[in-house]
Amino acid sequence: MMDCSKDWPIFMIDQDLNVTLLQAQTGQLLSEFLLGESPSGQRAKRGARPDFRIPRARLLDGGERLQIIDTLIAVIGGVYCHLPQKRAAYALDPVQALQLLRAHVAALSEGEFHLALTSIVSGLRDAHTRYSGPGAKQGAVAALPFLVEQYGPYDNPIFVVSKVSAPELIRDAKFTSGVILESWNSIPFARAVDLHADRETGGRPDARRARALESLTFRALECGPPPDEMMVDIGYRIPLRRTLREVRIPWRVVQPDRAQTSHQPGSRASRYIAADPAAEAVRRTKKLMFSGNIWQADRSGTPVARGERWIETRFQDALAARVVKNGSSGNLGYLRIWSFDVNDDDAFIAEVVRLLELLPDNGLILDLRGNPGGLIWAAERLLQLFTPNTITPARFSLLASHMTRAMASSPFNRMEFEAWLPSLEAAISTGEPYSQPLPLTDPTWCNDIGQRYSGPVVCVVDPNTYSSGDLFAAGFVDNEIGTLVCVGEATGAGGANVWTHYDLREALRGTSFELDALPADVGYTMAIRRAIRCGACDGMPIEDLGIPGIAYEMTLDDLLHENRDLIAFCASLLKGIPRTAMIVELNESSVTVTTRGLEELETYVNGRPFEAVRRISDGAQQLARPDAETIEFVGRHKGEICQRRKLSLK
Amino acid sequence: MSLIIAGRIIPISGDQKVAPSETASFQGRVWIGNDGRIAAVTKGTASIAGSQMNLADFDNAPVVDAGTDLVVPGFIDLHSHLAYATLPLWVEPNRTVPFQHHDIWPTRPTYPESVTWPAYAFIEAAPAELLAYAEIRALIGGTTSIQGSPPSNRPLDGWLVRNIEDETLGGEIGRHKVLASTLTLKPEQLGERAISMRQGATFIYHCAEGSPGSIVQREYRAAHTAGCLQRRLVAIHTNAIDSASYGTWGEPGAIVWSPFSNLWLYGATTDVPAAVARKINLCVGSDWGPSGTRNVLGELKVASLVSEVKGWGLSAFDLVKMITANPGDVLAQAWSRQAGRLEPGALGDVAVIAANAKAGSRPDPFKTILRATEADVQLVVVDGRPQYGTERLMRQAGVTQTSMIAINGETRRLALTRFEGNGEPWSYKEILARLEEVRDDPKEAIESARRLAFAAIRSGEPPPLRLALDMPTGRVPVGGLPKDLSKISVPPIQPLAHDKEFFASIPGRGFHDGLLEGLADFYD
Ligand SMILES: [Zn+2]
Repeated sequence: MMDCSKDWPIFMIDQDLNVTLLQAQTGQLLSEFLLGESPSGQRAKRGARPDFRIPRARLLDGGERLQIIDTLIAVIGGVYCHLPQKRAAYALDPVQALQLLRAHVAALSEGEFHLALTSIVSGLRDAHTRYSGPGAKQGAVAALPFLVEQYGPYDNPIFVVSKVSAPELIRDAKFTSGVILESWNSIPFARAVDLHADRETGGRPDARRARALESLTFRALECGPPPDEMMVDIGYRIPLRRTLREVRIPWRVVQPDRAQTSHQPGSRASRYIAADPAAEAVRRTKKLMFSGNIWQADRSGTPVARGERWIETRFQDALAARVVKNGSSGNLGYLRIWSFDVNDDDAFIAEVVRLLELLPDNGLILDLRGNPGGLIWAAERLLQLFTPNTITPARFSLLASHMTRAMASSPFNRMEFEAWLPSLEAAISTGEPYSQPLPLTDPTWCNDIGQRYSGPVVCVVDPNTYSSGDLFAAGFVDNEIGTLVCVGEATGAGGANVWTHYDLREALRGTSFELDALPADVGYTMAIRRAIRCGACDGMPIEDLGIPGIAYEMTLDDLLHENRDLIAFCASLLKGIPRTAMIVELNESSVTVTTRGLEELETYVNGRPFEAVRRISDGAQQLARPDAETIEFVGRHKGEICQRRKLSLK
Repeated sequence: MSLIIAGRIIPISGDQKVAPSETASFQGRVWIGNDGRIAAVTKGTASIAGSQMNLADFDNAPVVDAGTDLVVPGFIDLHSHLAYATLPLWVEPNRTVPFQHHDIWPTRPTYPESVTWPAYAFIEAAPAELLAYAEIRALIGGTTSIQGSPPSNRPLDGWLVRNIEDETLGGEIGRHKVLASTLTLKPEQLGERAISMRQGATFIYHCAEGSPGSIVQREYRAAHTAGCLQRRLVAIHTNAIDSASYGTWGEPGAIVWSPFSNLWLYGATTDVPAAVARKINLCVGSDWGPSGTRNVLGELKVASLVSEVKGWGLSAFDLVKMITANPGDVLAQAWSRQAGRLEPGALGDVAVIAANAKAGSRPDPFKTILRATEADVQLVVVDGRPQYGTERLMRQAGVTQTSMIAINGETRRLALTRFEGNGEPWSYKEILARLEEVRDDPKEAIESARRLAFAAIRSGEPPPLRLALDMPTGRVPVGGLPKDLSKISVPPIQPLAHDKEFFASIPGRGFHDGLLEGLADFYD
């Protein structure tokens, strides 16, 4: 799981131990994990069964606890970018709460201390900002071997098991995908979800509930407490039957590892992350439990297709694409974006461009449900592929405080923060609570490739679409790229760039706010730059609000038959939009532009008009290849720009 | 370890026990004690018996015999920017008129790619090598103290040459005795500096750099208003101010004059006679790679060219003082130890310059120094430790742990040790190899340095050496760097010494009206 303490989960399984998929899915029992004997930490002998047990957490003494609290007081008060908003939204004062805790912290039991501390931090209802206690250093996730999803109306949902993992993990052959869940440890299922929602992060009740539902079967142990119970009694019904059955399933602790393409700690990209680390660990766990072949392929670095009808991709952890058949509108493209957790946004975007070329240009469904975020550059630069419009990225503010001023004026942070400094200093006299908002993805980088997909685009999100996922959804709406469909009220509403304790320590070195190392493996992640939207929503924060879209309620068919109804719904939205298309081919001495549905063609060479506007009809246009840096074509339908292609000639 | 250097001594000392006047010179010896200080300066072959010094210190001291070569105070460069030392001279393409002031050229579109990013690649990926390169470049020109160290997360004192902002004289004085700022400070910060100076700090400040009469002359007025025009202020440039303004500097401090850089960027330089008339202490500094000379010995020649063209009448002695005794007095104030003069108690920083064989029997030694080039630098001693010199003198000095370095075809020995390590020798060849590696693949070099720094912070090890840029960054994207780090193009690493290619890069570039072309004549 993720090592929130520093950064993101890094978990190493020696390849030569040749862990079988089933072993990885089995992991160890939670009871063994919490109460069993602590492993020695020595490397297992070749051929021995791999040891999945995790060393027991170290106890913190009073001094160490004070150190942790003092650090959190400093950073939450000094750099936490949502502090004013959280104070307003939840009438809470985390800094004062920490001060109060400080007074008696040395006398608390270990359990009391962690509970008190985590409840202050999770009270912020911010999945970016998490405390992880000692012993959470490996990417462990507590899991039950099935997936619960809900369908139907929000106020009266039905909970259904949509996927089960290896049959060896459940001793009840009747507990299969499709069964309906009735109770959870003898609590009615819907009530159990509500009870858990109380503990979850998320600004809106529906977002909390979405996370609570997930937390009933998956808990990232680094970012929160383990389940209270060692095993769960599930009451369920087989559809169309009346008999209520019960099965007891133990919690297991597994290690989902990280994808090969995910961002590397310490890389330049790691300062530009917007993600929910817990949700990312859970997402990986779902992959391990329910798409084991892909999880394994990822470990060996082989490109793989998700299944029949899916296109092979080396970014299988982040992407999946296929053609979906739709009676009334012909074939459509479907692109699943599981995550933006990639280290190289250029490679990621190039892969999307390649996949788009393999999909029909009739219309495209972008599915970002459950996307926990990742590299901000990957999300914001991706937008340009789907539109002729110039992309305006979101902008980000720092909290205006002595600490952020010190950080921004440190000579070692000049590259990173010099642009923020004048407004942070001005804030002393203007009273602004924030710095000037500035983009983290330079606008030129958001428009350096340009449109690559001709057809209309729909984007599907849900309350588990978070952080960089939120940023993509916001950019999609604010830059008028297409229609946003939302399962639930809005996206997950995580609007910030997230740093770890290590990032902050490094950035504050040499200032008067220097941070010390934290004891044991204790760590935290912190929302440091707050996202602000552009376009019609200019100035609106994303945090706690999210991006609403056209509402959609999931159906049982969706859960059991690959989103059948959802796809039909999206197809109906794509249907009314006029279809236009443009394909540009560069040849040795000529350039061919093939268009459909366009009446006017403008050509620009090195950014200047090349010829008079051509009146065109469907078909191919040819012109001599100019000796220049760039060529750009703009196609209009009824006067409106529908297609734009920009190509480098060098 | 103590050291005796025999040769023609040019002490530039006002100490009557040493010499009757500052211009005096004589065959004699400089005695540097175990503590790195000059114990005595004696005439002829006289011993120091009868003096206050502990003779036993010198019982086994190596004697370096420089013959009739000149033994001079090590040169002091009071204005440079080490982080930019590898870069070639820079001009904005197609610009035909001089820049008005220092806020203009950083806004030019080619500035970040030509200056900021290449410098960043080195300080981020190879900070120790960059520092070594810059200090060696100073050393081979006879420099023993240099200003302009990049901000660093590690003290830089006690290594190769003295880094003026970081020097502690081996712990004898506290840190922060010398403050510096390249960037223009706000009134509040200037006020704080005024207080620090009253408490004994020296403040070296880039002030009013630009064409005469341009708007930045108000920086000088701001310094005045804030209370910074004190004895301990060292103002760099001040070429934008009206010379009458020097009158407001009640108790005059010092000015660092960098004529090459001024003429290159603005076509106009500091009014030296006006400043001298106000009793301001004039020093010469080399400034940085993109618009400066490679060491202060080269800059001295530019100063002489300007004086000649403008009819200022500065003598060779006047000029040599600007890189020795004058900045030495500035440092003496900061460090409570004389530098830049050879006299008892002063820092044991010495350079040996070849006597001019062609100039007859009794040439003016100051003219010899003025005309000296890197090839004439025979030995450089910092704090009594010989750091660089000819094979013969280094051997006489008893230094064995050295590596070879070639300067304009001449062979020298360098006593550099690794920045972090147990005194293992470090050769210029190795340093250059690493810098070339960074140049070949800046993206990989920068990313891997970041990963290492991150791994260190994670494992709880002390962070690796980090340096920062001290000049303006220019018009850069948010985050300071290009999206694709592999687009950073690092210009060829410049040779350490002034050479033909350097002189060839001067004509037709910059705004000096041809004046700087005269520099090449000194190196024939
Ligand atoms: Zn300068």
